[in-house]
Amino acid sequence: MKIRRLTAFVAGAAAAALAITACTPPDETGDDGNTGGDDSGIVTDTAVTVGWNQPFYEYNTSSATGNATANANILYLMQESFNYYDPELNLVPNEDFGTYSIVNEDPLTIEYVFADDIAWSDGTPVDAVDLMLQWAATSGNLNTLADEDIETDEEGNVVNQDEVDANVYFNGTSATVGYITEVEVSDDNKTLTATYDRNYADWEVNLTGAAVPAHVVAMHALEIEDPTEAKQAVKDAIENNDTEALAKISKFWNEGFAFGDTLPEDTSLYLSNGAYLLTEMVAGQYVTLEANPDFTGAHAATVERITVRYNEDPMQQVLALENGEIDVMAPQATADLVEALNDLGDDYTVETGIDGTYEHVDLQVTNGGPFDPATYGGDAETALKVRQAFLKLVPRQEIVDKLIVPLNPEAEVRQSYNVVPGSPMYDGVTEANGQAEAFPLENDVAGAEALMAEAGVETPVDVRILFAASNARRQQEYAIMAEAINGSGLFNLVDASSDDWGSMLSAATDQYDAALFGWQSTSTAVTAGNANFGTGEINNFYGYSNPEVDELQDQLSTETDPAEQERLLGEIEAHLVNDAFGVTIFQFPSVTAYRNTVTGITPITISPTVFYGFWEWGTTGDTADSEG
Amino acid sequence: MLIFVIRRVLMGLALLLVSSFVMYMLVDFTIDPLSDLRTSTDPSAPLQMEQRTEMLNLNAPPWVRYFDWLGAFVTGDFGVAWRTGRSVSDLLGSAMISTLQLVSFATVAAIVLGVAVGIVSALRQYTTFDYLITFFAFLMFSLPSFWVAVLLKQWGAIGFNDFLADPVIAIPVIIGIAVVTGFVWQLAVGGDLKRRVIHAGLAALAVALVLLYMQLTDWWLRPRLDWVLLTVTSLGIALTVTTLSTGLRNRRSLYTALSCVALGLVLYYPVRYFLFSNAWLTPYMNYGVALLLGLVAIGVGALIGWLWRGPDWKQSARTGAISAFLIAFLIFLDKVMSYWGAYMAAPAIGGRPIQTIGDRAPNLGGNFWVQVLDQYTHLILPTLSLMLISFAGYTRFSRGSMLEVMNQDYIRTARAKGINERTVVMRHGFRNSLIPLASIIPVDVIGLIGGALITERIFSRPGMGQLFIANLNADDIAPVMAYLVIIAFLAILANIIADLLYAALDPRIRVNA
Repeated sequence: MKIRRLTAFVAGAAAAALAITACTPPDETGDDGNTGGDDSGIVTDTAVTVGWNQPFYEYNTSSATGNATANANILYLMQESFNYYDPELNLVPNEDFGTYSIVNEDPLTIEYVFADDIAWSDGTPVDAVDLMLQWAATSGNLNTLADEDIETDEEGNVVNQDEVDANVYFNGTSATVGYITEVEVSDDNKTLTATYDRNYADWEVNLTGAAVPAHVVAMHALEIEDPTEAKQAVKDAIENNDTEALAKISKFWNEGFAFGDTLPEDTSLYLSNGAYLLTEMVAGQYVTLEANPDFTGAHAATVERITVRYNEDPMQQVLALENGEIDVMAPQATADLVEALNDLGDDYTVETGIDGTYEHVDLQVTNGGPFDPATYGGDAETALKVRQAFLKLVPRQEIVDKLIVPLNPEAEVRQSYNVVPGSPMYDGVTEANGQAEAFPLENDVAGAEALMAEAGVETPVDVRILFAASNARRQQEYAIMAEAINGSGLFNLVDASSDDWGSMLSAATDQYDAALFGWQSTSTAVTAGNANFGTGEINNFYGYSNPEVDELQDQLSTETDPAEQERLLGEIEAHLVNDAFGVTIFQFPSVTAYRNTVTGITPITISPTVFYGFWEWGTTGDTADSEG
Repeated sequence: MLIFVIRRVLMGLALLLVSSFVMYMLVDFTIDPLSDLRTSTDPSAPLQMEQRTEMLNLNAPPWVRYFDWLGAFVTGDFGVAWRTGRSVSDLLGSAMISTLQLVSFATVAAIVLGVAVGIVSALRQYTTFDYLITFFAFLMFSLPSFWVAVLLKQWGAIGFNDFLADPVIAIPVIIGIAVVTGFVWQLAVGGDLKRRVIHAGLAALAVALVLLYMQLTDWWLRPRLDWVLLTVTSLGIALTVTTLSTGLRNRRSLYTALSCVALGLVLYYPVRYFLFSNAWLTPYMNYGVALLLGLVAIGVGALIGWLWRGPDWKQSARTGAISAFLIAFLIFLDKVMSYWGAYMAAPAIGGRPIQTIGDRAPNLGGNFWVQVLDQYTHLILPTLSLMLISFAGYTRFSRGSMLEVMNQDYIRTARAKGINERTVVMRHGFRNSLIPLASIIPVDVIGLIGGALITERIFSRPGMGQLFIANLNADDIAPVMAYLVIIAFLAILANIIADLLYAALDPRIRVNA
């Protein structure tokens, strides 16, 4: 082509372009006047978006892998249970799901009756077979392969996989569900009768619902099409202890409900029986739940959608809250964080409170240190006086005032070894245990001096304190303690902090004399304390042993009357105070912040914290997920 | 040469083996898989501890576990993240995609901009512009990335989104921006006073007009490339590409570029409103199709160049291909931008389009175009934060290497031959100044696949860095080791590639066996 002809062609094209310019472009007006000429397909529903620090990854919260708060929170929105905690930590029975009662005290026998209209979201009823599978799986009583028979390499890859597959092995075992040795399901599948092999005080929180639908497990594990048949197959397998079927069931129960990057195509793997249906998930980023239209119970969804988004860094969550990407956040409280939240302004509410973990100091009594009778030639009295003197000097109120009150203005010194403040038994137990009198908040220096004089021990006594070396709050606590205690001239604190403190607690008892750390409560189970104080128990790192405490713990573990439980706890704690076992300091502060357009947020102390009371949530217009 | 490669590979493997052992030991000493159970009051905690110890073989010495792990790893079994039960190869797959998405654009942009600014800075050595760039580069270099990221969130997201609620820039502010831009521009242009004043005035005027135009046409809320902007931008692209590629003297090349502009304008309407509509391509659109369309544009551009052929048709074809691609990209961009209003109005966005966490908005829905828009509103801040920092490095590097090249004898020879300055700079100077870059870019690029740990964490993007940190915090050794070994492997590989590339590009370097 000649240049001239090409020029003509280009000119012609340009003219054509200009001609087209004159045309009116297609109608670009959508609902907002600018949608590019066609439907954009954007979703228009509203939602409340909650920020959380760990992503959801598994449906089965009872399996070894799925047992995490991040999963439990989401399942709390999806599954009903026989009871739930209210804000005062009372256990409230939930009759929408079913009822339960003690039918026999000896042996302890509980009858669970399922409500008539409770059903999984595929239409199959939730019934006693689901609970039966829950028992079969978490009791470990049907496992034909003990944990130690599983051979693994370093990665957790099972080496003897064939052997494991041929055996019944449910991996999410709970020791206390194991106390139930017999279950019986009625013919109509509505009633389950559970028989314990001993009295167990915390039976009410022991078996509260089904983590996974039994029929789904059987449909996948045993390749059965029909849900009713599948349910029957589970029932038969458990009743007849059919190891071949149970082996397949256990394998699927352990592994079948873990999610990949998105929701599985098979919707039966995430059925709901509660207020919300799981509708979308992006691993590591968010899950979305939508109101379950078929749910009729009292805890029905009031907010159309709930989205839970993940970010590990609380400060970034604050920015996301400000930028409208999340509406509610409930991270661990730190001074900087609370300050940043308070700076957000009037459009946000910041509420402080307490969470389930409490800080405490425990003393080593068998390591040859200053608190061990052996140091004084076996003189238990002298060692006791030294311990009492030391605990009298721990500046509990000062630590709370300086470190916790700025985060939670209502913070108080915790006075109980077992009971969460604000829970029904707290007042009674703390009154009975006498911790407040024995180790007064105004440090009793005179009393400590008198005790040390009586003990006749040369002062100052070196006390090595073990705590987490890189935990800023514990460093500050140590500094406050060192100043107050060293000032008395009776003791000299030695910093024995380590990043390896967790394993040192039990493995290196001669490296420290006192330990400063937190215990986390996950329920109001009254028997939990036994592990900490009982002779030779797993969390009793200190060699503490008091036969009377052990005796009382035994009574407590079989006591099912709450008033009597409270009395026994009071007595146990009185012993702990008298023996100068240690002191409790404070409940960890929590903070909840939300946009004022979200209403009804009432976090509770223990799991599910901020998600409690979702059935009272509401929105007034602009949320992270609604039109502005 | 072959022996050299073999020797390097063998050394690399040995290094990998030793480093994997060291890393395994370090990670193993760092983590405590039982930590969460140690402070639990759950009555089942002791039982769970026993189970976990058994499952992870914690009673065995670390080296036993290392060899178990190594045995599985070399056979391609990366193991399972015990805390979540997910296979590590699964986790790696999705994390790697997210990281590539983030770092690829940031790296390309940083290299292109950094090299360009560095070259200009070198050509204006020891002028105010040079000092300004040097100052800026060192400033960016020394900023901690977590701080840049938070500032970007505060201003780039929260501030900009607030601005969008009522997007009005005051006239004095527009004047201020225009004056500053004009000033910086004349510094970069250099020359005598008259030239400087004219350039400063033109640049200031252009910026003021653009801002005013955007303001008056409500561009912030309804961004688009209408006929006016498309024509202006396309012409700009045609002239710039021609200048850089062949120089405006090459008429055939210029005509090729202009033909591409004309064709672009002709095709704008049918492509934008019919091809990219729900009735046609939209339901089938994905990045693959978009790439294919881009390739078609390149082909068409090259064809136009070939039609204008002459003795040097390859030059015209090159100019045509680049121009056509860029113009096609403009049309694509216009389509994406047309959803801006709908996107902002979406409940999931609520009028605050620039996002600070994640890589997509939950519950957004939307077609391909909305998805693209959404991805980029999430990408823009982390990309900027990565770019600002690595941009500074490339500026310094290319400035240095350009200065060295421009002082070579062959540059003087070229000038003495009477070649015009553009050819001297672009062909003889610029190309040779890129040789040293060949040795750092592979290392940089592959290093970035390791993930921008801090940036990913702050912007909560599920990439490689996030995978590493999250699993280290979760005391999960399998994904951590997989991550570390892959990064170590890539680092070793990158060094070998850099050496070979350098030898290939520069004939003076000999690779000795």
